[in-house]
Amino acid sequence: MTETARSLVSEEDAVRAHWYGLLAHFLARPPSQDSLEIARGLEGDDTPLGKSVAAFAAAARVATVETADDEFHNLFYGVGRGELVPHGSFYLTGFLNEKPLSQLRVDLAQLGVARADEVKEPEDHVAALCDVMAGMIRGDFGPACHLERQVEFFDRHMAPWVVKFFEDLEGAKASTLFMPLGAIGRQFMEIEIESFRMLG
Amino acid sequence: MAKTKSSTSTRRDFLKLSGIGTAAGAAVIAGVQKPAEAAVRPEKVSAGYRETAHVKTAYALSRF
Repeated sequence: MTETARSLVSEEDAVRAHWYGLLAHFLARPPSQDSLEIARGLEGDDTPLGKSVAAFAAAARVATVETADDEFHNLFYGVGRGELVPHGSFYLTGFLNEKPLSQLRVDLAQLGVARADEVKEPEDHVAALCDVMAGMIRGDFGPACHLERQVEFFDRHMAPWVVKFFEDLEGAKASTLFMPLGAIGRQFMEIEIESFRMLG
Repeated sequence: MAKTKSSTSTRRDFLKLSGIGTAAGAAVIAGVQKPAEAAVRPEKVSAGYRETAHVKTAYALSRF
């Protein structure tokens, strides 16, 4: 990112990129020891989101790399299928790799983003979408994307299902560490939706 | 979608009150991203594409 692009990212938007980055980080893979340490050090406040952050930190303090790994696989990649399928196409159509994914691929190509060659996992994984949002805000793919472009991408590829996904994560049987992360995701996405609505 | 300055500042005010700026949270979350980007973002650029490593990592773990 150029310094010029960086300076165009407002403080509020930089903070949004951090939240997307946090969600992407913990949803893409089971947490490492370092990631758990960072989660343990998070501090909340009295806002609903801040309370969820405090709950996530508390859950991380009693988790180990092994328990977190088990939980992650039970949630997302359990035998046969995990409790949750973290893909937009599945939420919207009941199947993976349906039309919403092909629409997403068109938009990702326009952004200049592609998955690595060896990757077979569809791009509509919630972590990948959060990663794309963070990149659009920060300007990882070129100049930082204007808010209109962020809203367009979010409305098309995340808004129709992402709150439901995080509600499911919050309520999943296998969720312990990921329960408060689900709450964080749900609350953050609700804030995003509300703030975008204000731009009407 | 014509935006007025007031709708933009309303949004900014809303975001400030929403808790997303939680000082400690924001500061430490910034710390989360450094190892993530250093460790798992190869930043490979091929044919003009930037690749997102999260998709790759999720796949590696998926046992499909």
